[in-house]
Amino acid sequence: MRLHEPDRPGIRLGVGRQIKLRLESRIGYVDLVHELAEGLARRAGFSKSSALNIGLAVREAAINAIKHGNGMDVKKPIEVSFEERGDLFRIRVRDRGPGFDWAQTANPLDRENIYRTSGRGIFFMKHFVDRVAFQRRPGKGTEVILEKRFEQAARAGRSGDAVRSIKRRKG
Amino acid sequence: MKANTRHHGKVTVVDLSGKITIGEGDIKLKQAVNALLDEGRKNIILNLGGVSYMDSAGIGELVACFKRARDKEASLKLLNPNGKVQDLLILTKLQEIFDIYRDEREALASF
Repeated sequence: MRLHEPDRPGIRLGVGRQIKLRLESRIGYVDLVHELAEGLARRAGFSKSSALNIGLAVREAAINAIKHGNGMDVKKPIEVSFEERGDLFRIRVRDRGPGFDWAQTANPLDRENIYRTSGRGIFFMKHFVDRVAFQRRPGKGTEVILEKRFEQAARAGRSGDAVRSIKRRKG
Repeated sequence: MKANTRHHGKVTVVDLSGKITIGEGDIKLKQAVNALLDEGRKNIILNLGGVSYMDSAGIGELVACFKRARDKEASLKLLNPNGKVQDLLILTKLQEIFDIYRDEREALASF
């Protein structure tokens, strides 16, 4: 099921390595962060469906950081890092905002919230990965940590050296 | 995302394709539905068959469209959500508020 496109060699993370991005707070960069997350997850051995879930979770974290964390202020960067650590694929998304009370976010499934047009981002993150943690960094912003455990089948295949690259989606 | 509109008598079908996400798909969805509501269209079907996924902004816009239609005494129904889109509608419990159809003829006849 892995993509094998030798003419388009892609970046592969590798155990113990880290990729870090620093981006201006522009909504237009959300797709880039999503595609990189999904592509790296694919190359790390996750199934297509799990990689899309990881991409969607990271997308929501990036939207939160740009919109609510940095208040769309392009001068404030967001930082996104990806790493393979043990049996985990871990993504960190940092903003420079004043922080927010993530424990107080309303449950979008409650009857009174079902018609709300916002407030589903953190809910999506929690659903799409195994662990979501928020860390306030006093004076420096907020860091969201997203972790997804490798699937057993994926782990077995991770030693393979097939070159894979991001399959670009149309749309 | 692309949105193509076709009319079947009193019913308008909007064929959506691509992804409904922040900054692009959500805006195009809003524009497409607002244009129909402004024209006075009362019966709208959003055909989600070609939509690969949505994010929280896309889902939010879908709910906003539903509410705007309701406020204008119009009705907005969904056709053929697939794969991830269907998962998201179930996950968010929005399948409980939307009328969702698998068959276009059935959807057209439902108004």
